[in-house]
Amino acid sequence: MSRLLENDSLGLLSSHGVPTPAYEVAASPAEAAAAAKKLGGRAVIKALVPTGKRGKAGAVAFVSSPEEARSEAARILALTVRHFPVNRLLVMEALDIRREFFLSITFDPTRKCPLVLFSATGGVDIEEIVSERPDQLFELPVDILRGLDADACARFAGSAGLEGDIARQCGRAVHAAYRMFCECDCRTLEINPLAELTNGKIIAAAGVAVLDEQALFRHPELAEKLSEEQGNGWRPLTDLEREVREIDAIDPHVSMIRFSELGGDIGFMISGGGYGLCSFEQILREGGKPATTFDITPGPFEEKMYRTVKAVYAKSGLRGLVLSANVSNFARVDRRVAGIVRALKELDIDYDAFPVILRYDGPGAEEARTLAAEIPGLELYGAETTLEDVCRIIVERAYGQKTPDKEAP
Amino acid sequence: MSILLDETTRVLIQGTTGAEARRLIPTMLGYGTNIVAGMSPGKGGETVSGIPVYSTVADALKEHEVDLSVLFIPARFARDAAVEAIEAGVPRVNIIAEGVPHHDAAQILARARAAGTLIIGPNSQGMLSPGKAKVGGTGGEVPDLMFTPGPVGVVSRSGGMGAEISLALTRAGIGQSTYIAIGGDLLIGAEFVDILKLFEKDPDTKSVVMFGEPGTAREERAAEFIASGGFTKPLVAMIPGEFMETQETPAAQSHTGSLIERGVGAPSGKKRLLREAGVRVAEKFSEIVPLVRESLAG
Repeated sequence: MSRLLENDSLGLLSSHGVPTPAYEVAASPAEAAAAAKKLGGRAVIKALVPTGKRGKAGAVAFVSSPEEARSEAARILALTVRHFPVNRLLVMEALDIRREFFLSITFDPTRKCPLVLFSATGGVDIEEIVSERPDQLFELPVDILRGLDADACARFAGSAGLEGDIARQCGRAVHAAYRMFCECDCRTLEINPLAELTNGKIIAAAGVAVLDEQALFRHPELAEKLSEEQGNGWRPLTDLEREVREIDAIDPHVSMIRFSELGGDIGFMISGGGYGLCSFEQILREGGKPATTFDITPGPFEEKMYRTVKAVYAKSGLRGLVLSANVSNFARVDRRVAGIVRALKELDIDYDAFPVILRYDGPGAEEARTLAAEIPGLELYGAETTLEDVCRIIVERAYGQKTPDKEAP
Repeated sequence: MSILLDETTRVLIQGTTGAEARRLIPTMLGYGTNIVAGMSPGKGGETVSGIPVYSTVADALKEHEVDLSVLFIPARFARDAAVEAIEAGVPRVNIIAEGVPHHDAAQILARARAAGTLIIGPNSQGMLSPGKAKVGGTGGEVPDLMFTPGPVGVVSRSGGMGAEISLALTRAGIGQSTYIAIGGDLLIGAEFVDILKLFEKDPDTKSVVMFGEPGTAREERAAEFIASGGFTKPLVAMIPGEFMETQETPAAQSHTGSLIERGVGAPSGKKRLLREAGVRVAEKFSEIVPLVRESLAG
């Protein structure tokens, strides 16, 4: 995931011309108190974590003095918000908000273009508002070759029911946000709320930018902001996930690995987007519980497969391991199997008690079979065995013919 | 017949002198693909496997008529290469690269729409009309193990699963008319509806298998197209991932994500709409071949 933390998102919005509140980042109650003092005493304190719905998790506080900032900061720093422990806080200028709007820019896969979404009734319950009043959400598809000019933005704000200076300011915010969306290669840029203050000014009271991982090569300065703190998109990395990331980093540009750890008991190393998804679903259907997800792009696999198999095997509570991929077009499967076999040879496995099932076919399949035959008890299947057969076999072997769901009398 | 690609299709390869193209060109030629020219900047005058290489697409088009350009170009350069083909007037462009930046893909697709160019991909594994021609990596060095001529069209968002489905059909003695990997990215050119339109017109295609995935409205739009009578042949569809609907996922955390999807994108909804449109939906991989057999018998 490539979701920027809110301070970075606000910083980029501001540098692209969207008005934002003044803010400081604090890592302790004392720093939060000092920041609140600097901002005039009144402030908003938010957990600086790469996830949304902080308000509903009690991780946002409105304070009216540095003392209150100190105590609220201490409280929020002790929280875990949707799996993320709070290590830092955003201390933001308090705003006197009259109305909250919603502004977002993303890609529409149907129209195949950027799409601006705007609602004059914004805020944290935007989904509920829009599901009840879909006519309150206004859409502006953008011709990416022509871009958005200021007039079009102003007309759009007007069409959403805004008038006068507020419409002009919102139009300017749309214009500036779209420029940031393009210049930073965002996948999504969300400002919620875009606030109208009691003094008549429009300001991005909160913002989140999700960057395009596929375009980070153009933005080394933004890539640096995406620390490991981001986790795997919905929670911080586990030790095993961190280890596999280090394995992947031995050569980040070839045979790239995607990996996550789950609570099950079958080491799942079946790669290929659609193929892995079908296999994962089939193992669940058979009553099995995958303990990992895994994908590796074609390339020189051997070393990464070797290290990842060893890392996954070390996970406690596994009942077996299944490794597969769709039938290969060109990437040699024996290089993949060589890495697996090398790892298995170093591990003392009783294959009756801990089944290891492989299914690979394509160029080098003959050599792969020879390699696998060096390990008695290791099962390597080919194209004649379908992904569904492989899922059934690992579940039968791992749970001793009895799937966990069927064990209970 | 077949769609989009056969032995008469005149193919240009962009990125001809790169390692991937050099490895794949002999297998494409060996299968019967009519590769008429190659293109690599600054490499005009060279040849690869006997194919003349030009420095620009425009140079290639001065000497050859081209129906389809296939891009063996790294993701970060794919936009410029695709735009060059579009502007030179190539009618169909197949983009193989995985990882093309979203803004680049949107620009390619906008230019293609303006020029009337059909884009297949990005992140497409290629296309194959059994016994006639193949482009991209699909089928590898021994395509006959996986593909055989016959009456079933195959269209897939996943290259790996499109190949597995074709393999299962071939092993069951059921051949294919054309296999198209439309690409696994968020922003792609030809969608299921575009491919179904072509299969509808192809007299040799009697039935179609479609492999979908969670996210986007591609399958929903296919269901709508079928329900409205646009596609009248039997269709077998598989869309895995329904189990994900009850899991915590990153997408569920963004207001924008939930607003843009608003009821579309979930496998359960896609499958329901397809069933309502009369499509045979396979819940499991092993159901595909029997359903195809049934569709051909009916």
